[in-house]
This record gives sequence, structure tokens and C-alpha cells, in this order.
Amino acid sequence: MSEKKFEPVIVGFFCNWCTSAAADLAGTSRLHYPPNIRPIRVMCSSTVDPVYMIRALQEGADATILGGCHPGDCHYITGNYKARRRIAIVKTVLRSLGFDEDRVLLEWISGSEGPKFARVMNEYTEYIRNKGPSDFKYLDSLGGEEIE
Amino acid sequence: MSENDMLKKFMKDAFEKGLIEAVMAPAATKDSYTYALITKKEDVDKLTPIAPVMQWNGADMLRRITRLKKSERKLLAILRPCESRTYKELVKFNQINPENIIVLSYDCPGTIHARTFKYEPTTAEELLGEIKKGGKSNKIREACKVCEYPTPIPNVGDIGLGLVNTDEPVFFALSEKGRKFLADMGIQEGTRDADAWVEEHRKRREEWYEKERIRGGRKGLEDFLSSCLNCHNCKNMCPICFCKECFFEDRTVFDYESSKFFNWADDKDGIRLPTDKALFHIGRLIHMGTSCIGCGLCQQACPMDIPLYRLFGIVGNELQKVFNYKPGVNDDIPPVMDFREDELHEFEGLFGGEE
Repeated sequence: MSEKKFEPVIVGFFCNWCTSAAADLAGTSRLHYPPNIRPIRVMCSSTVDPVYMIRALQEGADATILGGCHPGDCHYITGNYKARRRIAIVKTVLRSLGFDEDRVLLEWISGSEGPKFARVMNEYTEYIRNKGPSDFKYLDSLGGEEIE
Repeated sequence: MSENDMLKKFMKDAFEKGLIEAVMAPAATKDSYTYALITKKEDVDKLTPIAPVMQWNGADMLRRITRLKKSERKLLAILRPCESRTYKELVKFNQINPENIIVLSYDCPGTIHARTFKYEPTTAEELLGEIKKGGKSNKIREACKVCEYPTPIPNVGDIGLGLVNTDEPVFFALSEKGRKFLADMGIQEGTRDADAWVEEHRKRREEWYEKERIRGGRKGLEDFLSSCLNCHNCKNMCPICFCKECFFEDRTVFDYESSKFFNWADDKDGIRLPTDKALFHIGRLIHMGTSCIGCGLCQQACPMDIPLYRLFGIVGNELQKVFNYKPGVNDDIPPVMDFREDELHEFEGLFGGEE
């Protein structure tokens, strides 16, 4: 099973006004970030219903990232505060059911923080690579390893 | 005079004094109890204000009545404590217009599972007999046994009726509106001591949290939901799930091309059909968990007898702790409608709020 090194799939929901711009900046600055990230541009971090993040995990992603503007910098004034509440809800639900809450990440990355974007993506990919495949995707399937 | 007769007399007096023009309360049917709306004094005798079964959440019925416009007539609604907390919560969500509505709530003896009642009927008097002595019937639903607020709470609803530890029921006001109503009725407010009784419930609840919580991640949840039919009954009965269009009923989201199914079956070494069963329950937790009142109707509605209240009640409690929010007991804004600028930093970033 472990002949090939495990490469995680990470779905990123990135705010149009900041984190997506930071991704562009990282690209134009020739900063390397791993190809494991599958970015999805959304108009605001608060447009992402956490169910979509759960759904990404269910459909085979090993982790998800929600990238928004720093608190106070939201293009729509208060979107990121609402996103933070939603992430708090989804992380609490995952934790209390006994799932790994670290597979959902919330990061504030502004449009000028290209280097931070590259660093966070590298660190998170490495972190998930060390953790191994997510077992959430096997929910309601016949596969996966029996745990405990 | 039984409690039910007393409440009926109360309604008739209120009709006569012109304080109310309609009443919403339970009424018996062949096998169960339904909610009924009456507008005439003569119809009061058709009601059973304290019923041994809660087939629907009364606040949900009030939502239906005031969905388009405020209540046209002065309406007295008899609600259990859990229903009056739901009422309060739905008012916050702008689903009920409280204008012209007077809510009367009482020390709740609990209710029997509607299906059990169908085959082994019992009476409210039997349940009430237990609580008059400060006890609790063991026939009642799981959610009722571990109820956190079995008595009317101040500012939730308008009038309270005390039944615990007392032979003579006592009325007391819960709001200014209720105080005025009781004064107009010429009823003296009374007191009764229910603290020890409530405390017992809360102790049971704490033990229940520990004992029944769903553990073990994927395996635990899969086993818990293993007999789920995906009928969405729990959602349909949930008073907090009031959305006109539910995300989980959206065919554009949950219809897939066949290739998707085959790819999943490839990747996951076989999938269970129908898909998205666990996702539905987790998604519902995310959407309504912060406002879960604890009426336990999800569990009663489950045709496969999955103890769903253990999922929604216990995880809901964890969620409510995060936001320090108690649904329906005070005027706090529901977490999903509100935010603070400086909060929840432990959920940011990878290792909790650095940078």
C-alpha cells in the first residue's frame, strides 16, 4: 500500500479579494507552493457553507482550507467574522463526533501576503502528508481501515 | 378538579372577559393528540390542554399561523416549556410574530413517545400524578427524562402554571404581558418550589452526556446511523429547520452523473447507497445545532428508532458551549446571526490563533 508516497489532496476555498490575490502574487513572485492544493475562488469566505467543506472531505479530499481577509479587512465589511463562526461550528461538530478537526483550516491571508500564502500552503500540505489519508472520505463506504 | 379542567375553566373565563379570541392547545384524536385552534368558548371542552403526547412542536404551529402576517386575533397558546423555548427562538429568527400571542406554559410532566402511546395509551393525569409528588414517570421519552428546562422560565412565554410539589396548581407571570393578563383575570400569583426537581433533571442530563455521546469518529457515526432510511423525517419534524428550501432537498446538488458513482466506488472500495446519508446529518448539525432546543422530536420522528436526540442534543450542547449560548432561554442573538470582532481565535490557523 505504501509503495508510493502519500500525496494529499487539499481543497482550498479562497476569497476573491485577498487569498486568491495572494495566490496570484505568490505565482507571479515565482514562489513555490505544492500542487496538492486545488484552489476554488469564492467571492467571500462567508459564502462558503461549511457543508461544502464537509462534502469535499466526504468526496475524497484529505483536507480543506478556507482563506479569507484579515479581521477588519473584509471587502464586504463583516463577511470574515461570519466565516469564523461557521468554521468554529464545523470544527466543533467534527471534534465532538471524534473526527480530526485539523482537516479544516481557516487562514487569514491578505492580497499582499504572497509569501505567507506559499508558506501556509507548504506547511499545511506537509502537516497533512504526515498525518496520512483522511478517513472521513470512507464515511458511508465499504472501504477504509477499521480503526480502534 | 384536574389540571386540565382547571385550564379549561381558565380559558373560558378569559373568553368571557374578552381577554382572548382564540386558543391553540392539544386535542385528543383516536390514537394520539393533535394541536387544535378554537375561536369559540363552547369549543374549549374539545381541548386537552395538557396532553401526554407531543406529536408536533406547538411553536411550529404558531409559525404556520403567523408566517405571513401577525396573529389577527388575541391568541392564547398552551405550550410545553420546550415548545415555549422554541417559540422564543423562532421569534428571534423572525419566524413567529409574537404580537397578539399569549403563551401559557406549565411544569412539564414529560411526554410519551407517540408510537408507544398509540399502542399503550395513558393519560396526562397519570403523568401529572408523579410530578405532584416531585417525581417523574419512567414511561416518558428519553429527551424528556434529560430535559434541561422542565419548568417555565421567566421572559420565555407569558404565564406559568406551577404543578410540581403542590396539590393546588399555581399561576405566575413570566412577562409583563402575562402579569397584566393575570391581573385582568383576577388571579393571585403563587409560588411553588421546583428547584430540587429541576436539579434532578440536570444531573440526569450530565450523566446522559457522558454515557450516550457518539464516540469513535467514522465507525461510531456509521454504526449509529446504520439503520437510517434517509427519509429526512428528523428534519421535517425539527422546529428549528424552518427553511423553505432545504439544501439537502436540492436536486441540483445531490443528483450526480453515473460516472461519479463509479469513481467513488473505485476510490472508496465500494460505497453505500443512497449516498450522502451521513453528510445529511452532519450538515444538519452544522446548520441548526447551535439552536437545538432539545424537544427530541427528531428521535420521535425516526421510523427506525435511531436515538437521534443523542446526536443533536449532545453535539448541539457542545456547539452551544462554544458560543456560550442557550437557545430559547434569554434574549441573546443566535450564534449564526451574530458575530464579535474579537473572538474564537482558537479556531484560526493551524495551531490555534498565532500570527
